[in-house]
Parts: sequence; structure tokens; C-alpha cells
Amino acid sequence: MELALDPPRLQAVPDAPLAAAATASDADLLARVADRDRDAFEVLYLRYIRSIYGLALRRLRDRERAEDAVQETFAAIWRSASSYRPERGPAAPWLYAIARNAVVDRFRGHIEPTGEVPDLASGEPGPADRAETAYVSWRVHRALEALSEREREVVELAYWSGLSQSEVAEYLHIPLGTVKTRTRSALSKLADVLEGDDL
Amino acid sequence: MNPSDFDELAGGDLEPGERERLRSVHDLLVQAGPPPELPPHLAAGPTLGMTLVRPPRRRILTRRVALLAAALTVLAVAFLFGYLAGNGGNGLAHARTLRLTGTRIAPNALASLRVYRSDRAGNWPMKLSGMGLPKLGPNGYYEVFLVRKGGYEPCGAFVVKNAGTPIDVTLNVPYRLKPSDTWVVTRERNGDEERGPVVLRPTT
Repeated sequence: MELALDPPRLQAVPDAPLAAAATASDADLLARVADRDRDAFEVLYLRYIRSIYGLALRRLRDRERAEDAVQETFAAIWRSASSYRPERGPAAPWLYAIARNAVVDRFRGHIEPTGEVPDLASGEPGPADRAETAYVSWRVHRALEALSEREREVVELAYWSGLSQSEVAEYLHIPLGTVKTRTRSALSKLADVLEGDDL
Repeated sequence: MNPSDFDELAGGDLEPGERERLRSVHDLLVQAGPPPELPPHLAAGPTLGMTLVRPPRRRILTRRVALLAAALTVLAVAFLFGYLAGNGGNGLAHARTLRLTGTRIAPNALASLRVYRSDRAGNWPMKLSGMGLPKLGPNGYYEVFLVRKGGYEPCGAFVVKNAGTPIDVTLNVPYRLKPSDTWVVTRERNGDEERGPVVLRPTT
């Protein structure tokens, strides 16, 4: 191993491009990623990491393989962003297809042993239902990233923590009216995002 | 609270059209379930390894253009070889950069890690440039680690001679890099068996 302490040559890394990329559409970000723009790649990553990890976990049910699928998904996005064509459709389904392919590849590499064939039909959802639920989760988790931190916090507590709105207000040390206002504002913003063309 | 109680969540004083719109979002939220909790290394941002993947080449060159390009490549390689030989091998032309920021231990620290293409022997040259790391005591030093699947592989150590003086450290590691790889810098002390705390990590 080589080690050296040389004269200073650090170039400061500006944050301005990252802030500018934060408001860009997914399609714009992909175009920039195709041009090897790391700031755009980082924004796209933060926008989709929960959706992609959630999809992988739901399908693979194994954290390590889900993390591998995430790594492969983003490597594939970096590798093939130039093949995305905006005129053929929005970016989110294209990204979903890449993530799904990475997950399926991991799934094929780990086939569960075949058991006895049951006599009765399983009550669990079939492949079509699972696929629909996976895509709904993908869209919703992606849309949550469009909320402000305050709005997202209220939604997550209200829907998935088991707390009442009064308890959410107490937990966050804010008035109940503020919780209600933020919740309604968040639902409205989510509706805008989910109705938008980019998802 | 039961999230199925839409009226308590959204309020009961909505216009019918808006109520229907928010109700559909409400139903989707219930159906989707909570987003997953991210492990720290995924929450930290993309890894440098993800962007070390080379893009596919487009097959747009005609045979004639391809032959011309091949000839030019041979010339360029010959020129580069001569250039590197004439510059002591320091003229590394192609690099990827990972940005690192200070943790609570070194909140003012900032650095970038440049990873160059591997050499003929399979070693990956790297250069860590940074500033804001505090000077440590007589037994203290900093160490760069490659992080892979939660494990730490040492890449090299360095010291900061004067607080406030930027650092520029050259490293050369034999690991075969993978898309999931990332790097951190830790604070260490001679004689300690436990690995020290992380002072620089990939920026989020």
C-alpha cells in the first residue's frame, strides 16, 4: 500500500447543482444521468430508494438479497439511462421495470424447495394481485418523497403508527389543528403527484 | 387510530369532489402500507460502485469508422503510455469521485475520494482529498475503509499534521471493486483493538 501526504489540492464540492436537481422531473434527471451527472443520480436515488427497497423486500423477503437488488437496480439505471425515451412514456414505470427485473434476477437465483401440492386453493393473493399491490406501494412510496418532511411525518404517524391525531399532536408537540391541516395538505399533495403524468 | 377512519384524518367538511380525490389517496395509503426502514448504508446515498459500471457501447459505427477508431486508439494508447512513462506514472486520466462529509465527531470535515481505473496488476489507485479533520493526539490516526456488505476492508492510514491544513492522501488497494462498495474514514488510536468511530462518510 502506498501512502503520501502531498500539498493541498482539494476542490470544494458545491451543493448548488444538487439543490437545482431536486426540483427536476424524473425524465429530466434520467437525461442528466445519461450524461453522467452524479448530482442528478443522487437525487434520483433519494427519490426512489424506499420504493425500490420496498419492492425488493416485499418480493424477496430477505434483507441481504433485497439490498443486492437495490445495488443492481441503481447500477442498471446508471448504465442504461441513455436508453430511456421520454416520448414512449413516463419515467416511473421505466424505473419500475428496471427494479422489477433486478428483483426477479435475485429471485431466480434462490428457488425455494418444492413442497407438497395443497388440496385447497391458498387464501393468499395470487401473482396478479401481488403485482398490483407492489405497483401501488411503489407509486405511493415514491409520492411520499414529494412531501415536505413535516407533512410526511404526520402521514406516516397517522397511517402506520397506530396513533390517533391527538396522540400525533402530543408526540410532535404541535396543536391538533396543525396536525389536521398538515394531514389534509399532505393528502392533497399526494393526490396531485399520483394524478400527475410522471407516475 | 384506525386509518380506515377517513373523516377523522381528512376532516368532514370537504367538497364532494375533493373528498373523493382525497379518499382515493387515503385508500392507496392503506393498501400500500408503510415504506421500509432503510439500513444506514442505503440511507447514506448512492455508492461509488454503482457508477463504476461502464455504459453499453452503441453499435452505430460503420466498419470503416470502427477501423479508423481502432487505429486512433492504438496511437492514443501509445501516446498515453509514453506520457505516463515520462511523468513517473502519476498522470492518471480517468477517475470517479465519491463525496464524503463529516459525522458528528468531525462536523466541519469535507472530503472527496477519487477512484482511478485499476492498473495492470488489478490494484485500484485512489486519492483522498479533504479538509476540516482535527489533528489527533500522539497515538491517533485516521484510516480509510472499503465497506462491503457491512464488513470493513482497510485501505490505508494517514495523520493530520496541522488542524485546518487540507490533506491529500494517495492510496492503492488490491480489492476487486463491486457496485455495492462504498468507503468511510474512521478515527483510530494505536493499541486499540476495536475499530474507531466513523468521521467521514458518503454524503447523502
